[in-house]
Amino acid sequence: MGATATAETKKPSFVRDWLLTVDHKKIGIMYGVACLFFFFIGGAAALVIRTELLTPGMPDVVPQADMFNQMFTMHGSIMIFLFMIPMLTAAFGNYLVPIMIGAHDMAFPRMNNLAFWLFALGGVVFLSSFYFGMPDIGWTAYPPYSIQSQGLGLDIWVLGVHILGISSILGAINIIVTVFNMRAPGMTFNRLPLYVWSSLITAFIQLFGTPALAGAITTLLFDRHFGTHFYDASAGGDPMLYQHLFWFYSHPAVYIMVIPAMGIVSEIIPVFARKPIFGYHAIAYSSIAIGFLGFLVWAHHMFVAGMPLATGIPFMVTSMIIAVPSAIKIFNWLATLWRGSNWFTTPMLFVTLGFIGMFTIGGLGGIFLAAVPVDMHMHDTYFVVAHFHYVLFGGSMMAVLAGIFYWFPKMTGRMYNEKLGKIVFWMYFIGTNLTFFPMHYIGMMGMPRRVFQYDPANGMQIANQIATFGSYLVGAAAVMMVVTIVVSLRSGAKAPANPWGAQTLEWTVSSPPPEHNFIEMPYVTAPPYEFGEAEENYTSQKSFGA
Amino acid sequence: MDFSWLFPPAINDMAKQVDSLFWFIAAISLFIFVLVEMLLFIFLVRYRRKRPDKQGIALHGNTKMEIIWTVIPALILVAIGVFGSQMTYAIQTPPKDVYTINVTGYKWRWDFEYPEGFKTTNKLVIPEDKNVLFKITSADIIHSFWIPAMRIKQDAVPGRQTQIWSGPTKQGEYPIVCAEYCGTMHSMMLAKLNVVNTDEFNKFVQSGGKAGGGAAGGPGGEGQALAEQKGCLSCHATDQNKLVGPGWGGMFGKDVKLSDGSTAKYDEKYIVESIMDPAAKIPQGYSSPMPPQQVTEEEAKAIAEYIKTLK
Repeated sequence: MGATATAETKKPSFVRDWLLTVDHKKIGIMYGVACLFFFFIGGAAALVIRTELLTPGMPDVVPQADMFNQMFTMHGSIMIFLFMIPMLTAAFGNYLVPIMIGAHDMAFPRMNNLAFWLFALGGVVFLSSFYFGMPDIGWTAYPPYSIQSQGLGLDIWVLGVHILGISSILGAINIIVTVFNMRAPGMTFNRLPLYVWSSLITAFIQLFGTPALAGAITTLLFDRHFGTHFYDASAGGDPMLYQHLFWFYSHPAVYIMVIPAMGIVSEIIPVFARKPIFGYHAIAYSSIAIGFLGFLVWAHHMFVAGMPLATGIPFMVTSMIIAVPSAIKIFNWLATLWRGSNWFTTPMLFVTLGFIGMFTIGGLGGIFLAAVPVDMHMHDTYFVVAHFHYVLFGGSMMAVLAGIFYWFPKMTGRMYNEKLGKIVFWMYFIGTNLTFFPMHYIGMMGMPRRVFQYDPANGMQIANQIATFGSYLVGAAAVMMVVTIVVSLRSGAKAPANPWGAQTLEWTVSSPPPEHNFIEMPYVTAPPYEFGEAEENYTSQKSFGA
Repeated sequence: MDFSWLFPPAINDMAKQVDSLFWFIAAISLFIFVLVEMLLFIFLVRYRRKRPDKQGIALHGNTKMEIIWTVIPALILVAIGVFGSQMTYAIQTPPKDVYTINVTGYKWRWDFEYPEGFKTTNKLVIPEDKNVLFKITSADIIHSFWIPAMRIKQDAVPGRQTQIWSGPTKQGEYPIVCAEYCGTMHSMMLAKLNVVNTDEFNKFVQSGGKAGGGAAGGPGGEGQALAEQKGCLSCHATDQNKLVGPGWGGMFGKDVKLSDGSTAKYDEKYIVESIMDPAAKIPQGYSSPMPPQQVTEEEAKAIAEYIKTLK
């Protein structure tokens, strides 16, 4: 069974080559393309919301109030369940985890294929609500309102989330088993690339968290159709139970969307700083700390939800503690840049100015919200919107974009267009700050989230308009991103195996990699980021045939 | 420097305390923000790559530094945590001599029930010099009772009573906002807080909630004031626009098509019936009846008078 035997067989059809594939790289790319498609739909909904908020009065852009409520529901649900979570865990996770640990594929390639198609099905179910009636329940779907809401919206939403949840669990199991069992010889846990560390921790969070969400939304369906009374106060139920279940998943879900992003940052910085990552163990173990503590902070979403204020204090404490491992990472990345040889490629700009610069703002905003008395004022206002968009858009999204540019040569075999890439970066960077920074003020001044109407006094209308124009710039940046990808695919230079001089295993094979990644079994002899002046001739993480 | 313009006016002691905690955290955050962004910027520029093959130094880490940037943030957060916890206990416990007002959230209005036994809608009048305790609940779904000027917010949860209190406040008119998404007209679920002096408050109580707080004297007279106070205008436009319910403008005297196919004359009788028994005659294009309202027949008649004046 040599390479010659397959060379003569005819080229497989598109269906067999892509749709039926069990190759982790192709599944990863399909996830990525699908996620970007959903990103555009979720983004369009955001632009509708922002356009409506150009003026303070009754809805004039959307035909009626319900439509506005549906828009923010679709925006949140799509961006979280169909873009950020699958993009970071499934698209990057599938592509990178096996090849980074020196495996030929995931542990369960067919299950991987199933997870992708469940994801696609969940996406179609979500999209079908544009036709059958959109949910207007917010992405949180709090009962009793969600149970009483009219039309098919909630039912479709629950169905979609369930399917995506199963897909997510299957993907998580696959990653865990792959990392534990498929590592190449010599790839010890202390030599794992930091993205793999983050991916493994994230997979555990998905595995433990998702069932709580599934339980919560199933009870919504039961209450709505089968006459149960989980959340019906008049029959002795309690609407707050849902909030506990929901946030028991959905706060860890925030870390599902942040930890892999931090992993991407940790991959890119040492390569372009030409320095070993500062504090490898501190970064890896702080992710474990975040993953664990992430399950102990959920009620900070509920400080004013009906429990006594003092009950919030333990959750305030855990929420404060969880800021420490994040701070550790920020300082380690900064220390990696110190006395490095920093090369400003597009991915480097996205992770440094983009991720470190803006995630810091999001993280600091979180400290205000973690303090119970301040949260009394800020809860459910635009300050919260500013905070989590700085974390998820200023942070995670920048890492996603950095990752797309960084691994673009590996995935496609073409170099991306550096000039266009930098334009994309500056558009995103300026647009994101224009959109979300004014929202801090908007929230402090008294505008709740999820409203179409506000008091234009105190410069509120101007602040809202700045945010709206910022969002248009972000929209333009997204289009520019697609242009850059298309131009690079068509006319980019042919990518060498290792254009960045990186040391993780994916860069030791051709771009794009051969079907089963490694012709020869890699044997790992060193940690993944052995850059630096002390060793004149740095080598990659692998040496063959040892 | 005075940064109080970043917030609504702080009208009670609690608001000032919350603001002080905010500024305490803000000072620390600003310091960390400047530190991180400055280091980021300096390192990027100072250590930019000068030759393509230039390497950084081979430095893998430093345990002392790791301990420093673990312990210092932890200590700062402990300080914020301690300060925050003390304040939380202080806020939670209401004083003994409080004037209790029951707050109930409905889709989409706030009802305020005073200890003297009367009720107001969307109009909360309180005396400036008393401690007031709000006991909050909801009649239907979850709302959130938020007075930005007092920095207090508590969800109104069906089947549960939450509470929050305020000490003496400053006279004036301030907004009350629903902060928890509650469906179609969540954005319009707004009420007014009116803080008055003792004399005015006594008058307000003696009149059973009618005086005090700008009862409008517009062309629509009492009916207009009622329509505003009872929350009608959250769902009904005063022109022909369709919000959640039909618009009122130019309807009086015309025929309305009903959802069962028949027609009815849009007169006082029809309006009063539609308010008192919303399910009786539903206009075409609407599937569900208006939720029941806290309106007496007298008040409904006044509202009908007001609708008569709308073009």
